[in-house]
Amino acid sequence: MIKDKGFILVFLFLSSVIILFLTIPLIKLFMSVGLFGVVDSLKDAEVYSSIFLTLKTALYAVLFVCLTGIPLAYLIARYEFFGKSILESIIDIPVMVPHTAAGIALLIAFDNGYVGKILSFFGIGFIDTTTGIAAAMMFLSAPFLINSAKEGFKKVDVEYENVARTLGASKFSTFFRIVLPNSRNDIINGALMMWSRGLGEFGAVVIIAYHPMVAPVLIFDRFNSYGLKYSAPVAAAMILVSICLFLAIRTVNNKFK
Amino acid sequence: MLKIENLFLKQGSFVLQKLSFEVEKNSYFVILGKTGSGKTMLLEAIAGLKKIEGSMYCDGKDITNMPPEKRNFGFVYQDFKLFPNMSVRENITFSSKYKKIENQKELFSDLIDFLGIKNILDRNIMYLSGGEKQRVAIARAIFSRPKLLLLDEPLSAVDPTFRNSIMKSLKDIVTRYDITIIHVTHNFREASYLADNIAIILDGKILQIGRADEVLNQPTSIEVARFLGFKNIFSTSHLGFDQQNRFFSIDPNRISFSNEVVEGNYNFACTIDTIMGISDHYKVFANSKDLHFFAKIHKSIFGNLNLREGQHYFININKKDIAFI
Repeated sequence: MIKDKGFILVFLFLSSVIILFLTIPLIKLFMSVGLFGVVDSLKDAEVYSSIFLTLKTALYAVLFVCLTGIPLAYLIARYEFFGKSILESIIDIPVMVPHTAAGIALLIAFDNGYVGKILSFFGIGFIDTTTGIAAAMMFLSAPFLINSAKEGFKKVDVEYENVARTLGASKFSTFFRIVLPNSRNDIINGALMMWSRGLGEFGAVVIIAYHPMVAPVLIFDRFNSYGLKYSAPVAAAMILVSICLFLAIRTVNNKFK
Repeated sequence: MLKIENLFLKQGSFVLQKLSFEVEKNSYFVILGKTGSGKTMLLEAIAGLKKIEGSMYCDGKDITNMPPEKRNFGFVYQDFKLFPNMSVRENITFSSKYKKIENQKELFSDLIDFLGIKNILDRNIMYLSGGEKQRVAIARAIFSRPKLLLLDEPLSAVDPTFRNSIMKSLKDIVTRYDITIIHVTHNFREASYLADNIAIILDGKILQIGRADEVLNQPTSIEVARFLGFKNIFSTSHLGFDQQNRFFSIDPNRISFSNEVVEGNYNFACTIDTIMGISDHYKVFANSKDLHFFAKIHKSIFGNLNLREGQHYFININKKDIAFI
């Protein structure tokens, strides 16, 4: 063990570099704004409604992908089929695309084309709407949830499902009573990752909806119009709200493990 | 009770090849085979977890394409597969949400008494020993009131000290709960204690099937004999028979040595190759032309025989000790 000391010291040093890099900007931001600055900022109706809109639209995106992406993740995890590798690559594409480019692609697909016409027939608008914002967030963050759920499903041995079936459970019931609860942690982690990724989405959202303003757009707008002094409190408030929410969700999840 | 006709199942490069057999009601049927011989795959096919070619009937009803939840067959895997998100009690009563189980309360208390799991009902399954997990898995399967219980190597993950008591419980299940059991294993001891009937499966083929004592003592092919651990397997032509494709085997404990031919026995002139002393007996390896014999001589007799490596003797085999294959 004594011989490990040098190894541990080198790794501790390298780890502390990245920890400082990740934390110093946040600490500096909160120090410059101060707690009262954050509270005052949260009292500002525009800031408050913008943060609420961001949380809400990112949550809609997560819920939609829970409904559609989790079944897809299960199919990929459990079955072998033609084109599976291609499908997995397609799911990962949004992670590699520049976000503004993704916004343009979404605009072309859903605002003009046939899909856009079908959506407008059902009264679903895309430009400057919460639907458009949620779609932009979802396009760029869905892979986090799908891939995490896929890994979670792979960890649940198919023999658990087999046993449940022999005990009388249907395939659907087995999925809800055995597969989902036993892959819960990966799905919740994926959902949190997707949600956090959605909260920070700017590039694609700003192309589709400058108004109503989500928090990243509001921060950009205030920075552009009024400078650092007016944008920093909004940024600090957004970060604080996000951190509190994630901590709460993780605590609840760990409690019910 | 269960009738299987020409069951064919291909999975990757492995194939279960046109298997046909019947399992009698309320019998204990053991499928004996090496690891990788297709035992688990066959059990999963019977449970309806794999799509097969061929036909399968249960009490005269065609169940070939029936989904597993409709078959009413219980399944216990080698590593038990207790649901990690449920307590012991919830695992056992899992099936009550899907099936109408008669006298549920009485059955539950009888099961937990019979299997000795009363004290662990509210425990997290993470903290159970192998033996406890196994008993919970069996209770869970029986609680669903199956007609047929499929056991996949149920004793392999159990501490050897508990195996005998669990084997006794398994044997009692058939009459106590009116269930037919199919049990797959690679362990001859388990098979000889538990089985009414045995099927030997090797490389996806059933090579022999019949009453347990018949199968274990009278193999009908050289593959089965080798698998069952028969030693000294040679062609019957060495005994003077004409048939080239028939074989005989002699138990190493039934071989004796002498300096001259013994009338009435089969005698093989041999040279002793190696002698190894093992606790209470000697292992003797002797060559007779191209035949390599293996004998076990008890230490109490060995001294009188005065056997030496490299010396010439006669191997004597009593005719009644020969097992023809």
